[in-house]
Amino acid sequence: MKTVLHWLLPLLMGLGIPCAHAETVTLTLANKLMATAEFHEGEPDKPAVILLHGFLQTHQFPTIKRLADSLAGEGYTVLAPTLSLGVTYRNQSLPCEAIHTHTVAAGAAEIRAWVAWLKARKVKAIILGGHSLGNIYLLDYLGSQPDRLVRKFIGISIVEGSLKAGEQARPGLVGKLRDKVRGGGREIIEGQFSFCQKLRATPDSLLSYLEWGPDMILTAIDRIRVPITMIMGSRDDRLGEDWLPRLKKTRAKVIVIDGANHFLDGQYEFDLLDHFLAELKGI
Amino acid sequence: MKPLSIGRLALLYLALSGLLVLAMGLYFWREIEQTSRQLQARETQVARQELAEGLQAARQRIQAIGESLAKWDETKQQLNFPEYYTLWRDHRVRDTGLVPASVVAVALYGQEGDILLGSNSANPMPARLPGNPPMLILKQEGGLAYLFYFIPVHADPAGAIKMGYLGLKSDLRMAMAQARAYHYADLSTLQVVIPPNSVVQADQALEYLRAGIQANPELQAFQGLLRDSMTRLAIVLLAALLLATWLLDRLVVGPLRRLSAEIDALKDPGIDLTAHRLEKLPLPILELENVRRSFNDYQSRLADLHQNLEKTSREFFDQARRDALTGAFNRRAFDEDWREAPQDRRLDNLALILFDCDHFKAINDTYGHHVGDAVIQAIVHCLQQALRADDRLYRIGGDEFATIIADTDARHAQAVAERCLAQVMAHDFRQYGMSEPVTISIGVSMAGHGDAQDARLTLLELHKRADLAMYAAKRPGGQKIMFYTPAIGGAEALVANRPVNAVFQAIQDPEMIEIAYQAVVRLPLMQKEYSEALTRIRFEGQLIFPGDIFPIIQGRNLDAEFDLAIIRAIRRDMDSGKLPPGEGVSINLSASGIVNARVMEAMVALLEAEQGRKIVVEITETALITQMETATANILRLRQAGALVALDDFGSGYSSLRYLASMPVDLVKFDISMVRLLESGEARQRLMIEEIARMVITAGYELVAEGIETRELLEKVIQLGFSHAQGYYFGKPGEPMTGGR
Repeated sequence: MKTVLHWLLPLLMGLGIPCAHAETVTLTLANKLMATAEFHEGEPDKPAVILLHGFLQTHQFPTIKRLADSLAGEGYTVLAPTLSLGVTYRNQSLPCEAIHTHTVAAGAAEIRAWVAWLKARKVKAIILGGHSLGNIYLLDYLGSQPDRLVRKFIGISIVEGSLKAGEQARPGLVGKLRDKVRGGGREIIEGQFSFCQKLRATPDSLLSYLEWGPDMILTAIDRIRVPITMIMGSRDDRLGEDWLPRLKKTRAKVIVIDGANHFLDGQYEFDLLDHFLAELKGI
Repeated sequence: MKPLSIGRLALLYLALSGLLVLAMGLYFWREIEQTSRQLQARETQVARQELAEGLQAARQRIQAIGESLAKWDETKQQLNFPEYYTLWRDHRVRDTGLVPASVVAVALYGQEGDILLGSNSANPMPARLPGNPPMLILKQEGGLAYLFYFIPVHADPAGAIKMGYLGLKSDLRMAMAQARAYHYADLSTLQVVIPPNSVVQADQALEYLRAGIQANPELQAFQGLLRDSMTRLAIVLLAALLLATWLLDRLVVGPLRRLSAEIDALKDPGIDLTAHRLEKLPLPILELENVRRSFNDYQSRLADLHQNLEKTSREFFDQARRDALTGAFNRRAFDEDWREAPQDRRLDNLALILFDCDHFKAINDTYGHHVGDAVIQAIVHCLQQALRADDRLYRIGGDEFATIIADTDARHAQAVAERCLAQVMAHDFRQYGMSEPVTISIGVSMAGHGDAQDARLTLLELHKRADLAMYAAKRPGGQKIMFYTPAIGGAEALVANRPVNAVFQAIQDPEMIEIAYQAVVRLPLMQKEYSEALTRIRFEGQLIFPGDIFPIIQGRNLDAEFDLAIIRAIRRDMDSGKLPPGEGVSINLSASGIVNARVMEAMVALLEAEQGRKIVVEITETALITQMETATANILRLRQAGALVALDDFGSGYSSLRYLASMPVDLVKFDISMVRLLESGEARQRLMIEEIARMVITAGYELVAEGIETRELLEKVIQLGFSHAQGYYFGKPGEPMTGGR
């Protein structure tokens, strides 16, 4: 099976032959913004999968796009939303230098809205999947009364959200940001977060992301009730040296694909698919 | 048309060449200017095209930028949450690199068209949309032109949900400069000529754009090169023209002018041909050199010819003035030399010496003409030996000679005369068969060496004095050299020489001549038909008759002058009525007169004036006529003018049968000696005369008998058939006719 997929899927995708019917769907958010997502309607007896992109990306990000198409090809209903990040009909990745006003909570709220959207389409089960920092939106959602149809969370290349200045600096930064937020500060500040050296954001926006440090992520993993599987690359250079060991100590099932990087591209995307499909079969 | 000189022609040619060069230069200059204008027009057109393309590119670019910005998520973000609009507008838009520097302002407008937030920048955007987007307009602000582009911003990719509007403001010049490169249009001079506070749709903006042309260094260099080339060419042509002028003047015009001047100089009759040689050195132009050589050759030949003519002329002139027998100057030369001096000229230091051979007639008669000629030649030889080389010796009569010695005095003249006499006396005349010596008589008259009266002597008077002195020297027993003195010119001399004086004065004054008319009667009727004019000179109350007159005239060759005097005297008589109208007259002309042009003119004039009068011209001394052809022609001329011509003294020796046969005469007058032989001659003589008379009559001539003094002789000539007669029988000359009817 694995061998067949290795050859068949690229061929089908190269020929432009859709593996399943895909459409762009929109969702009106609570703040009146319109969010978009790519929706693959699959077989009714199979669970629906929500695949969420990484930090500031869209559902067109290759790792998500390939996986969504593959899953759709396997007959799964797939919904790959693009978080609005404060932009209606957002269809472009936001640069670090853009004015960021979005928060992790707002992202989790959009996940909740999409879960509800799927639920309205009578899916029997929902599997949440995320890539990189996109996983924190899902963790945030799962940590606060997720829908009962959500049966599993499969995280891909989850990062710890570490700071270059060192984890010891996080409490200070967070403290200052909380002070700004409490003081009603709305000025745009620039701070380092994830791959952004200068993330231009409002204090509450930056604060929401900085609060998600390694410890908070690990704690969140242990708190959520749905089964959790983490698919990681052994050669993910965005991870701290002790991240995988710490991750493995949580209640999450950790699958490490040997040789894969943060994006699990190339030949490893099939390993990703195989492992993802394997995790879905248990549902 | 007056011909032009070579100098003017050359100048005209050079001027025309210069004008042609100038015209060509102007033509090429004009062509260059026209080409430059065409290139400029082409550049203007291309520059305009560049402007159009630049404007189009700027429009497309601002539209592309606008569309990119309108689709940009962060633009939509600001329309939803404009809290950080200024940050987005002033920094974020610029940071993305989506907006070039030419876009000087960006603004967002709400759905109602109002700007989200105004700006205090130097390039503000309008507070409200100027129209209904999308729209692209051109507007001028603060002297600069801007393109404004307004476009709707939609939330969804399908463009169904309009969120608001995006506005861009682009510096037109900068946008056009960024849009493309300009090789012709000069954007730094770009101007937009639209009214203030008005807008123009961008697709019509081109007609409001004005821009200069970039300097085209290559074209300017090319034009400069052409102008420099033209200038250099003009200088070269001008120099060539000047060189051609110099060469033309030196090689052609100058030589031709000198040729012309030399040829003009030949018009001067006194020019020395040998001194006028053209261009000693060869001329550089072949044809001119040929002309020069030909002219010089021609001039040389002309000079030679001139010299030969002069020599020949001198020879002819000399021959005409020389005596053929002796080689001395003749009477003509003597007269001409006299005439060259005015008659009233005061003579200073002049001596006239006359020489005359004593008893020459006797020598001639005794020893014959050949001895006479030899004597004359010897005398001339002796006299020339005695005279100086420059002194001229004239033979003015048969045995009479003269010389004129200038700048002399009596002593010197005496010495010359003595030397001449001695030379003649020393000559041995026996070699010619003579047994007695030959002597000469010498008369000398001096001028300028006497009293005041002598100083005013005329040449005629000088000649007369020398003549008197010479006659004095001929007196037996006297000195053979005589100078004129008042004693010689005294009463004795005057008596002895009265006929000479009379002749000279009568020539000067024809009033002294009296004509005695002797009747010539028609036979046998014995009616007076005309009269023969017989000449007398009344001098000091007495008459001098032809026997004394004509020897003097013939001795001094005064025949023609005396003929003229006689003609004037006869005309005077006709005018005065002494010779009544209608009465014919017979006039004697000398042998010299019949060949003298003046005498002939006078006779013809007389004939023409007296056409109703019978006029007979009697020619005598035909043996002395040397120019027979001229004489014959003149006789014919007189006959044509109405005269009858008579051969006078026929049979006397002067008029012979030979001349009768050759002369075109009407009448023949038997000499009186022959007529008298009819009465007193021997029988044989009478027979011959009678036969001659019959022969002449038979030949068609009318015969006139002279010397009829008796009735018997008259009857005899009537019997012989004579047509006319004259003589004392009919009356003496000047008296009324008595013997006839």
